[in-house]
Amino acid sequence: MVRTADVFRKKSGIDVRTEHQAEHIDLSEGLVSGHTREGKRFELPFDRLLIATGADPIVPARPGFDLPGVMVVKTLDDAQAIKERITSHPVKRALILGMGYIAMEMAEALRERGIEVAMAKPRARLLPWLPEELAQRVGEELAAHQVALHTVFSVDHIEERGNHLAAVSASGDRLEADLVVVAIGVTPNSRLARDAGLALGPADAIAVDRQMRTSDDRIYAAGDCADAFHVVTGERVWIPLALRANRAGWAVADHLCGREVSLQGVVGSAVFKVFDLEVARTGLTAAEASEAGFDAATVTIKASSKAHSMPGASPILVHMVGDRRSGRLLGAQMVGREGAAHRINTAAVALHAAMTVAQFSESDLAYAPPFGPTWDPLLVGANQLIKAMK
Amino acid sequence: MKFVVIGGDAAGMSAASRAKRNDSGLAVTVLERSTTVSYSA
Repeated sequence: MVRTADVFRKKSGIDVRTEHQAEHIDLSEGLVSGHTREGKRFELPFDRLLIATGADPIVPARPGFDLPGVMVVKTLDDAQAIKERITSHPVKRALILGMGYIAMEMAEALRERGIEVAMAKPRARLLPWLPEELAQRVGEELAAHQVALHTVFSVDHIEERGNHLAAVSASGDRLEADLVVVAIGVTPNSRLARDAGLALGPADAIAVDRQMRTSDDRIYAAGDCADAFHVVTGERVWIPLALRANRAGWAVADHLCGREVSLQGVVGSAVFKVFDLEVARTGLTAAEASEAGFDAATVTIKASSKAHSMPGASPILVHMVGDRRSGRLLGAQMVGREGAAHRINTAAVALHAAMTVAQFSESDLAYAPPFGPTWDPLLVGANQLIKAMK
Repeated sequence: MKFVVIGGDAAGMSAASRAKRNDSGLAVTVLERSTTVSYSA
């Protein structure tokens, strides 16, 4: 639900000042200053400050990315602007730059409007954080919905010819479209913090402790601009997602009011839908596990979303990662038409509890034929992983 | 105490709303660069 600034002002008694761009934090004076959209300078004293400046979509500094019809997507406003563009200009073909989850959600939205969709990315692998077999299933889903995938396509520039746009690679290959959607990723908006001399973490996100304090303890940071501790590795990570942002916001409010707060961190749980497919992950991939120093063992199994006798049962691919040395469960990834998105949460909780694969395999998980096989797909995976870890 | 929030996104508005609920005497100001603040509470 979207609440307007007015509701926050009247119902919550929060002094919401829109069109106020903060530009500078003066640590010694405890002041924030900036300009309003009309160009009026403002200055505001604080006792405690929260930097919640979010993340901005990455737009390559290449020619043509500022053309009308080349649009980034990240916020609600961006999506609205794309909708308006489609309504006001005939769009027969769209090109999406990027193949992450926002890009895929855009592909689905555009296909639903009958628009031809092509996607392009510079690297070879679709969803490199998914095991090959699972990523391939996503590729098939996109192909089944007539989405053309152009991997190893680096856009050098975008040109306009008449009413049409073309993304042109360095070698002169062209992808033509009426609309280009830029969804290649986001970057933390940490400039204010950096300029104020606050410590930055991975990906230049603002480094925060378990109380959301930056390197200056009067100043908090939360949301997509801030980092977090990864529960599995204990290392700082930048995984900007909504639940963490909301929870970090609460933590700031509680700590500020003298309550005890210590956030455990994130395990990198994420789900998205691409057409009729659910894609889910939590914890580490095999590559991430090896990089973090674990002795990673993996297994990929195919299970059913319902008991085999049930109509409408569909396959779920489950990939699981464990550590041979400690026996610990490190991560899980899943793809399926149903039953993948919420099932991942079981594994997420196991990661928070630092369970071994053997302990996890003994979990008493719910069963009835419409919801899964007797042995839940995650338990089937865990049983196989135990063998693979020996 | 003056609590200033830069950014009216999910984290900023969550913090502002909860801080005000925790302590109604707190002076909470949110600075947002766009025309709207967004999402949840």
